[in-house]
This record gives sequence, C-alpha cells and structure tokens, in this order.
Amino acid sequence: MRFPSTIVILFCLLMAFSGYSLPDTHKKYSVTGKVTAKNDGESLVGSTVFILELKTGTTTDQYGRFSLTMVPGQYTLSFTFIGYTAVTRVVNLDKDINLKVELETEQKELQEVVVKSERTDQNVAKPEMSVFKMDIKTIQKIPMLMGEVDVIKAIQLLPGVQSVSEGSSGYSVRGGAPDQNLILLDDATVYNASHLMGFFSVFNNDAVKDVKLYKGDIPANYGGKLSSVLDVRMDEGNSKKFEVNGGIGIIASRITIEGPIQKDRCSFIVSGRRTYADLFLPLSSNKALQNNKLYFYDINAKINYVINDNNTVFLSGYFGRDVFSNQFAKMNWGNGTGTFRWNHVFSKKLFFNLTTVYSDYRYILGTPDGNTNSFQWNASLKDIGTKGDFSWYLNPGNTLHLGAAITYHMINPGTANGTGSETVFKSIQVPKNYSLESGIYASNEQKIGHHFTATYGLRLSLFQNIGPGTVYHYTSDHVVIDSSVYKSGIIYNTYGGIEPRIGLMYQFNEKSSVKASYARTYQYLQLAQNSSAGTPLDIWFPASPNIKPQIGDQVAVGYFRNFRHNTIETSVEAYYKWMQNVIDFKNFAQLLLVDTLEGQVRTGRGYSYGVEFLVRLNEKFVSGWVSYTYSRSFRLIPEITANPYPAPYDKPNNISVVINVQVAKRWNISANWVYATGAPVTFPTGRATIAGKVIPIYSERNAYRYQDYHRLDLAVTFSSKEKPNRKFAWDLNFSVYNAYARHNTWSVNFVQDNIDPNTTYAEKVYLFGIIPSVTFNFHFNHE
Amino acid sequence: MNKLLLSLLILLLAAGCTERINVNLDSSYVRLVVDGGITNDSMQRSVSLSKSASYFYNQPPPMVSNAIVILSDGSFPDTLKEQLPGHPGVYSLDPAFRGIIGKTYSLSIKLPEVIGNSSEYFSTCKIMKVARLDSIQTEFDPNMGKSGRWLIKIFAQEPGDEFNYYLLRYYRNGILMSDSIQKWGTSDDKFFNGSYIRGLTAFRINNANYWETLHPGDTVKVQMSGITKEYYDFIRQVQQAGYQIPFFSGPPANVEGNLNNGAVGFFFAYSDSFATQIIPK
Repeated sequence: MRFPSTIVILFCLLMAFSGYSLPDTHKKYSVTGKVTAKNDGESLVGSTVFILELKTGTTTDQYGRFSLTMVPGQYTLSFTFIGYTAVTRVVNLDKDINLKVELETEQKELQEVVVKSERTDQNVAKPEMSVFKMDIKTIQKIPMLMGEVDVIKAIQLLPGVQSVSEGSSGYSVRGGAPDQNLILLDDATVYNASHLMGFFSVFNNDAVKDVKLYKGDIPANYGGKLSSVLDVRMDEGNSKKFEVNGGIGIIASRITIEGPIQKDRCSFIVSGRRTYADLFLPLSSNKALQNNKLYFYDINAKINYVINDNNTVFLSGYFGRDVFSNQFAKMNWGNGTGTFRWNHVFSKKLFFNLTTVYSDYRYILGTPDGNTNSFQWNASLKDIGTKGDFSWYLNPGNTLHLGAAITYHMINPGTANGTGSETVFKSIQVPKNYSLESGIYASNEQKIGHHFTATYGLRLSLFQNIGPGTVYHYTSDHVVIDSSVYKSGIIYNTYGGIEPRIGLMYQFNEKSSVKASYARTYQYLQLAQNSSAGTPLDIWFPASPNIKPQIGDQVAVGYFRNFRHNTIETSVEAYYKWMQNVIDFKNFAQLLLVDTLEGQVRTGRGYSYGVEFLVRLNEKFVSGWVSYTYSRSFRLIPEITANPYPAPYDKPNNISVVINVQVAKRWNISANWVYATGAPVTFPTGRATIAGKVIPIYSERNAYRYQDYHRLDLAVTFSSKEKPNRKFAWDLNFSVYNAYARHNTWSVNFVQDNIDPNTTYAEKVYLFGIIPSVTFNFHFNHE
Repeated sequence: MNKLLLSLLILLLAAGCTERINVNLDSSYVRLVVDGGITNDSMQRSVSLSKSASYFYNQPPPMVSNAIVILSDGSFPDTLKEQLPGHPGVYSLDPAFRGIIGKTYSLSIKLPEVIGNSSEYFSTCKIMKVARLDSIQTEFDPNMGKSGRWLIKIFAQEPGDEFNYYLLRYYRNGILMSDSIQKWGTSDDKFFNGSYIRGLTAFRINNANYWETLHPGDTVKVQMSGITKEYYDFIRQVQQAGYQIPFFSGPPANVEGNLNNGAVGFFFAYSDSFATQIIPK
C-alpha cells in the first residue's frame, strides 16, 4: 500500500473540512466548561447544554466537557441531565468564558430509581446509530445468574447481540465472530473477558461507570476489530466524600472504597472481588475434593487528579486471576490492564487526550509437580500502546476529531516443558511473534442547516510483523514446504487499510429522525478457536504473510422516534454486513502447541443482515426495553464446504424483554425474558461401525438446529429506608435465573448404549435448572 | 493433555445434566465401511466390510459378502478369504502371514454391487517401526482420587530420526483390557523425540473400577504399536466422535480414513512391541 499518498488524501480531506466552515466575519467568543454531579464530583457524560436564545446546543463529551462558540451577546444556558435538577446560567459573552456547572440530584422520594442516563433526546438527535449505552445502575437492576451483576450478560440482552453458548461471556454482534469484538476497559484491550469458563465476566460492576456498545457506525477513533466496540469506563471515585460499597452473594463478595485524596481535585477508587465456593471444600468429607481449588478474584483501582482547569490525569488498572487445581491438573489464567491518561485543554476549542495502555492476558496449565509426568504449559499476549486524540470544536457547525495510535503486540503462543529433574518431557516452544499495529484518523461532525448532520471520517491502519519471527511456507494444500526465520527488529510483512466511516442524520423534528451509516473495519489479530463456548486457552495470532487481514463493511439505516417527552425511545435499524478473509479452521484442527497453526486456517467470506426493533422505556417508575431482531449470518469457506453455511451465531428470531418496575418505595421488581431460535448444529445422517464403536456420519455443516432457547429471570430488591443524610444504606436482592426451569440445550451428544452396543440415542446436555440466589448490598459514606 | 482438559471439564460439568431427546434425522446415502488391517506379528490380519446405515438403525451393521479383497506389498498379491459361514463380511489372510516393517501395503476391494458411488475401493498403509519397549513398571498411588489409581509406566528408547506415533493397549493375565477403541492410548513423540522414555505413565487405572483394576500377582502386558500419522489421527477422531463439548470441541465432522471413493474407515498396518511385568505381591 502506498501510505504517503493516503496521508495526502487525509490532509486534503482535513482542508476540505475547514474550507466548509463559515468565514469568521464577526468576532466570536467561546463558552467552555465542565458539568459534574454535585454529590460525588463525577463528570456527567452526555448532559445537555442548551442555548435558549438560539434554540441550539450541544452535549458534554465523555469527560463532561463542552464548548460553544457564538457572536457576542447575552445568552441563557440551560444544563440538564436525567435525574438531576436543571441549572440555568445567564452569560454575557464579551470574552471567552469558562463555566463549572454542578448539577444536584433531584430530591425525589425514590432516589433509588434515579438512572443516570443519556441526554433525553439523544436517541433521535445524536448523529450516531447502532449504539447502546447503559449506565451501571441500569445493569445492576437486571436479574443475573447467581445474582452476579454482569456487564457482558447485560450486553447479550441487546438487539443484534447473541450469546455464543448458554452461560458464556462470548457474544456475537450482528453475525460477527466473538473475537471480532473490541472490548476496552479504560481504553486498554481486554483479550479474554471471562471468569470461570465464561459464566462470569471480568467486569466488577462496582468499579464500572458505564458501558457503550457500538454494533456498527463505529467511530474513526476505534480500530482493530471487525464487528463491534464495547467501551467500558471505570468509575473515577468520589471526589467529595468517602464511600464504601459492597455486596455479599452466594458465589462472590465484593467491596469498593472510594473517596477524595484532595477534595474536588483528587479522588481514588479501589474495588475487589473474590468467589468463595472453594473455601468450603476443606469441609468436604471427600478427601479428593479437600485440596481442590476453584476460584477467581479481581481488583480494579483508579486515581483521578484534576491538576488545574486545563489538565486532568488518571491512572487506572485491572488485575484478575482464575485459579483451578485438583490432584491431576492445575491451571490459572487472567488479564491485567493499565491505563494512564492526560486530558489537556489547549484552548477553548481544542481538547487533547494522551493515553498509554498496557494489557496482558496469560495462562498456565500443568500437572502437580514431583512426578515424572509433571509438566507445565504457559502462553501469553501482551500489548503496549499509546494514542493521542484531539477534539477540535471548530465552530458550532463542525466538530473535528483526529488522532493517532500505535500498539506493540507480543504473543507467546505456548511454551511447554516437563517440571522437575525426573521429567520425561522435552521442552517445546512455539515461535513467538511480534507486531506493530498503528492507525491515524480524522473525522468531522458537520451540521448542515437545521435538520441535517453528517459525520464523515477516515481511519488509516497499518500492521507490521516484526522479527524475531518464523514464517512457514505452505503449498496450496496447506503442507509445509520450508520456513523463513527473521532476525530481531526486521519488518518482514506490512498490511495497510483505508477505513472510511460515514454517518448521516436527518432530523425531522424534536421527536424523529432517520440515520444511515457506512463503516469499513480491518482486523489484524484473531483468535485460534473453533469451539462454540471457548476456554481460557486462547491463542491470538496475527495477520502475516500467510494470513490476510479481515475486512468488514457494514451499511445500516434506521428510523428513530421518541414519545412522551423522550421517556419512550423507539428505533428500527436494518443492516447488511460483508466480511472478507474471515477465519475458520480445517476439520479436526489442532490449535494448541502447534507451530503450523496457519496451515490449519481456512479463509473465506461471510455476510449477515438483519433488522432490529427496539422500544426503550425511561419512565419514572418503569424502565427497560423490549426488542425483536430478525437476522441471518452465513459463511462461505470453499475449503470447508462448497456452499454457504449458517454461522454458529445464526439465530434468526430473537426477542429480549428487560423490565424494571419500582412497585413501592422500598420494593423494586425486575424481569427479563429472552427467546432465540435454536443455534445451528451439525447432526448425523448416518452411522458406521468401527472397532465396535458406532460413529456418526454427519450432515452438511450446520444443517440442523437445536431446540429454541428461551428463559425467564426474575429479581426482587428490598431497600433500606430513605432518609436525608443517611450514612448507611443497604438492599437485599433475591433473584431467580431460569425461573420456569427450561432445559435449554448446551450440546447434544450421540451416544452408544452401554448394554446394547447396536443402539444409539441422542442425549441433550443442559447446564441450568432453576437457580435462585440472594445478594446483600451495602453502602456507607462519610463526609 | 486432553485428559487434563477432560478432568477440568468433569469438575465443571458436575452441575450439568443430561436427558434423552428425540431428534428427527434425515438419512444420507449408504457408504462402504472398512475396518481392519495387518501387523508384523500374528495380532491382526483381517478386514471387515460393512455398510453404513441410518443413525437410529439400532441393529448390527449390515455386512458385505462376496467381495474380492486383495492385499499387495507391491510384488506378491495375496487374497483375503471371507470367513464363511461363521463371519460373513470378514476377510482374512493365511494365519502364517506376517507384515514387514518399512513396507507399504495396498488393499484393493472389488464389490459384487455398487455401494456409495463405486464398486471398487483402494487404500495403502505403511508399517512403521516401533520404539522397543525395554520394560514396564506398575505402581499404586493411593492418593489419587478417592480409591487410588494403578499406574502403568513404560520405558523405551525413542528413535529421534522421524515423527513417530504410538498406539498403546494393555492386557491383564492375557486378556485385553483396552478392549474398545475408547480405551486405547495414543501418543506422538512431540515431547520426547529421540530421548529415553523413562517411566511415562501410559495408563492410569481407577482402582474403584473392579472390572479393570490390577492386583498384586497379576501379569500385566503392554502392547505398543508404531502407527502412521493418519491412523493416529483417525483413532483420536473416532474416540471423540459423537460427543460435543462446547468448551473444546470443534464443529463435528466426518472421521478421515484412508480409503478412496468416499468409503468410511481405515486399512491399518503397524508393528508391535511388548513388555510384561508380574505385579510383586
């Protein structure tokens, strides 16, 4: 790819942006500022700033900041945010003005219902689509497996998102593969978001502020994955007073401490969580079980420091591990991430963020020591990256975002060796690989007239394989011929991609709009996994001379309409998505501890389409959503089958109902019901007998389906009495997962009868019957 | 490695439940099924031919009689005789037959009728050499599991010159205990290519399983066979066939044999090595 010429194009595009802005004939001034919550000092993301005189306005960015530029004059600014009392300020704009606005929580009787949510008309008025944002308070209301509130399980209830398998943290967005989702925690990539084989996710809800899922229309500042972005933000900590939050559940307990280090300037939050099912194992009468271990823990921490009006920094980190061991095997795995960010205000119109991230995923699998057969196997993936992002509020009609990012990936696909001096095993090292992924982007959000907004941007991505590295050369039949070994520091392969991102919005009135978008995305790292639910034994492998980057194109159109003062949001979105160079594996692929993984990869095309209907409620006492999705997803990989086959996530009909009702002052009831067409599966259409065993002869891939999936979950929360200035509050949550005990299929085995070996039968495996649980949550604060 | 994953799985599946279900399955066309082969000793010298059936056929496989089955080492063709009337569809060589290590044998089958899309099938397999078993050692570990485990460890010099694949089976007092393909052990030489295998645990027998556990005084024999990579892969595929574990299993696929024209099964050829121990009282 000729990179310099694309840079030229990018700059031409930038020039075009500025050329489009109206000439500054009058002297103009800016009002900038930050909107925060009065009670805890946290920034209010997406609050509305409205200029009454001009009947126009803006929303605050992800740090609570805003910027407006106008001709001199007197203006009335109104600041609103759901659940907070609106504030009005009159400004005399004869110079640049900086405002600090603190909004106070509404003194409602039912403070528990208060949901910090988006600007009220955002569904209709914001020039973005295929996006779903949830505040942690919303997520906490959803009934969950074993009462463990879980960000990823909440995401799986959204239209266009499918869980890959019962109880799994893996999910497919609009027909994409689970490894095509970019999961970010404070901008650091989380490569494996699962605890306990996926039954729980790595996100501790007490440490999370909000989550935003992009299913399409992915902004130009994100890159590296094909299908979606899940942007999870950690809480900043209370800068006004100390708080302790915690919960005791049947499987895990958690505690969070937050508070000011320097009031209004510097805050911290530390949050920890551990499961304790194994703590009871020593009490077991079964000798073999007494020494078993099976638990996970994780820690989140963040320090936020407002140095002055123009500079804010934060440092945040996550560390989590799963530990398993019994007499025969031991294993542990987990993620670590770290983020440092500096927010800088260059001028009233130009904001800057510098972010440095570290991310690490590793696992160790082995047998207990002291045996000739003892061995250990470990693998890891490490990322170090940095990025700079500018937001330039050029004029009321144009907001420009530009930036650059670079990430260094270090992957050790596997080191295995015997442990102890008596070992019978030699050591094995699968060649490590190193790569550099970078991107630059620019985008502009331009208002054209009163009704039309266009967002257009371009991302240029670059991927380079760097030595030391070993590249195997294959015949067209995937047989290894020989290999090339590259020295340290040599760039032996380069790929580049031009990724246009375009969004258009036409707003008919305050209540309705139509939106359309197109986005191209490139993906250079993928997961070597061919099972449906996945394990912690992840091996990510990069694009290389043998593996081309995956390319995705998605177009979407949608109609958005709000009712009853924006308390009911509705939308219909239709999309079509094409994917090139998608990855699958040959039959019976051996993905672990092999040098020639790339020889087992089979690539082809994928396409998916669908239509998503959503009604979202945000009434005072009732909130939630109802969605229906019809979607299909196919793969065409000629070396696997000649015809397109349904992707494993092809579940055409999908319904989600998530409802939360405040029934009385202290009582809250929530329920969710999900329905999905059974997942496609390959079943036998014949049998043969080999060495006494009846083996299946299979249908075309995914020619059959499991039974349809449906499940109802319920929860009731009883809270302590609401009193002004109360120091201690609590609630008790009872929940039931799978309330009507549906035996949803996890897998189907074809089994030969033990007594009559000529008889075979089908046997369904299901994981959960009805699972009740109880969680006690408490909150304590100190001024 | 797989056993390790399996033990992890069993722990996790303690909560999982199963129930029999009815599924409506279509039937695909009938295929020829070939199962058998030769060794360098007297252990094996027959091939059985049968037909595939619908999945819930629930009767013994329909055997294929009156076929012409010929084995050749490239120079001397040898006809296998159908064992009538006792064993229709089973075709055997003369009891004196011994395969020779390093030779490639071919099997050609001519059927009296078309099965699948052909009446003629063909396959080849090479007899690989096997690492010579020096000795075996049995050991009881009372701390493993609830009832303890009997371990059978093997000692052998692994030849370092090539990739080798092994099939392991054991006998108790002359009776084959690895009596179904599900109980066969397999190994490649990835972890010990060229080194001396000093006490690799080949079998771990649950002492609670009275029908297969060992006792002092028992004569234990291990049969180690040098097999081709294709046969090694085939055995492992057959062992997994039918079972889907969402954590680990790839998409189900037909086992890959070594016959042409879409026949199912394998024509194998391998060499054996044995070692015996009487468990001290």
